[in-house]
Amino acid sequence: MNLLRILSDIEKVDADASERFLFSRRKLLKTTSVAALATPAFFAATVNKAFASHADVVAVLNFALTLEYLEAEFYKMGNMTPGLIPESDRQVFMKIGEHEQQHVNFLKSQLGGEAIPMPNFDFTAKGMFPNPFSNYQVFLTLSQAFEDLGVRAYKGQAPKLKDDKPVLLAALKIHSVEARHAAEVRLIRNQRVWASEQEPGGVPAMVYKDENNVKHHDAIDLISLVDDRLLRQNGTQQIAEMVVRESFDEPLTKEEVYMIASPFIRENMP
Amino acid sequence: MEKFNTLTEKKAGPTIPVIPSVERRMFLRSLGLASASALALLSSCAQEKLVAPSTGLGRSGARMGATILPDGTIDLGPGDIGISNLAYALDQLEVAFYHTAVEKAYGLNEMDRKVLVELHDHEIVHKEFFKALLGDNAIPMLDFDFSAINFNGRNDVFDAAQKFESVGVGAFNGTGPLIQDLEILKIAGKMVSVEARHATLARNMIYPRTYFALGHEMIDGNGLDWHLTPDEVLAKAQPFIKQKLSAANLPKM
Repeated sequence: MNLLRILSDIEKVDADASERFLFSRRKLLKTTSVAALATPAFFAATVNKAFASHADVVAVLNFALTLEYLEAEFYKMGNMTPGLIPESDRQVFMKIGEHEQQHVNFLKSQLGGEAIPMPNFDFTAKGMFPNPFSNYQVFLTLSQAFEDLGVRAYKGQAPKLKDDKPVLLAALKIHSVEARHAAEVRLIRNQRVWASEQEPGGVPAMVYKDENNVKHHDAIDLISLVDDRLLRQNGTQQIAEMVVRESFDEPLTKEEVYMIASPFIRENMP
Repeated sequence: MEKFNTLTEKKAGPTIPVIPSVERRMFLRSLGLASASALALLSSCAQEKLVAPSTGLGRSGARMGATILPDGTIDLGPGDIGISNLAYALDQLEVAFYHTAVEKAYGLNEMDRKVLVELHDHEIVHKEFFKALLGDNAIPMLDFDFSAINFNGRNDVFDAAQKFESVGVGAFNGTGPLIQDLEILKIAGKMVSVEARHATLARNMIYPRTYFALGHEMIDGNGLDWHLTPDEVLAKAQPFIKQKLSAANLPKM
């Protein structure tokens, strides 16, 4: 399954590109002097810019939609499987599944005709997780993996949405819901609530790649700054480093996320 | 109007070429310029002053960092500085709250205490980050009044905690799209999900594994979390802060 290829195909086909072109041209004619318009370079640059920003947003939203399809389908199957989820946790997983389906619907409504269809999923990840819907612990492990991955994926894409405020706002609002889910599932599993490379909890290590980063700004050495201010006992460098690590969640790139998600996505698209 | 920042007067274009990197870093920090972003903001403000020379009075003087208005109100400042000051104020609030809770709360078990200490320590990191980022543009240390919180009730303490953390989530979500500096947007993104994890943990300390634990009442029919405007954030935080804060110069959506 080559998701990257599919996405780039979508961008190429991009049905309404010509329409957008016309729109941009019309707008330009209204607002710009004819003399400026006569400069081909000026014209091309402007149209390219309008195009790039729309295509970027569509690519980000379809990327997000792929992950939301994955999560929604995963919880739908889990919630439908009798005896998988114990009574104590049913409320949580019904609600999480509902949120993921809402994310799918919302993203599709934003994308309209540009939304990609739902792929087929293989939740065993080619046998890596043999029994996700008969072994509750495996189900929980995958749930944590998908939620933490979702948090990192949205975080990585947010900067690309900077020029489209309403879409950025919506993405941030999904992002923090994914973080609530991740924390909840971690608590159910008796894992620490914070993501770290040391404690993957059975989740593929790549999901937590570079999560230990403590350098968030070129000129700010947080470990030294907080070292003697922590309440945690024995304020050693190691403790301070751990606390700094836990205080920030890290992003993943689209390519990194796809590499992790690919084994769960079958080749044959509907 | 009292200005916290005398830097603008004389440091329009600091040149720092020959200082080796570590000392340069210390030097920058001591100037309150411990960030490339702050430098960028400083230079943009310096440019602004060329257009509208500051008399040291009036609005043009308020264009850079936090300021104290004649009635004592603390103005958070404009742009990314104002947004960062808002986050800094919330982090101060959270640190002070958790500190008080760890010291004063009655009837905490060992796990309760451990959770509050962990949350406190994360918020220290967030607070120190913004303090360093803002340098001389930061608001001062605030004073807090937690008399409305019942520290004798363990559930009351965790309910206050989840409310503060939820305000943090709403504040980061609401101000994210208003941030100009991409680096600050990225770092805000790294913090907001930790705030959401905090809120979930605090809620689970009261009603574990429930809709409440997931923050359901803050999530709409599209599965989107809540967001708050800067004024809404202040309305929720102000009752606990002794100084009056103003977000009047923060950007709007």
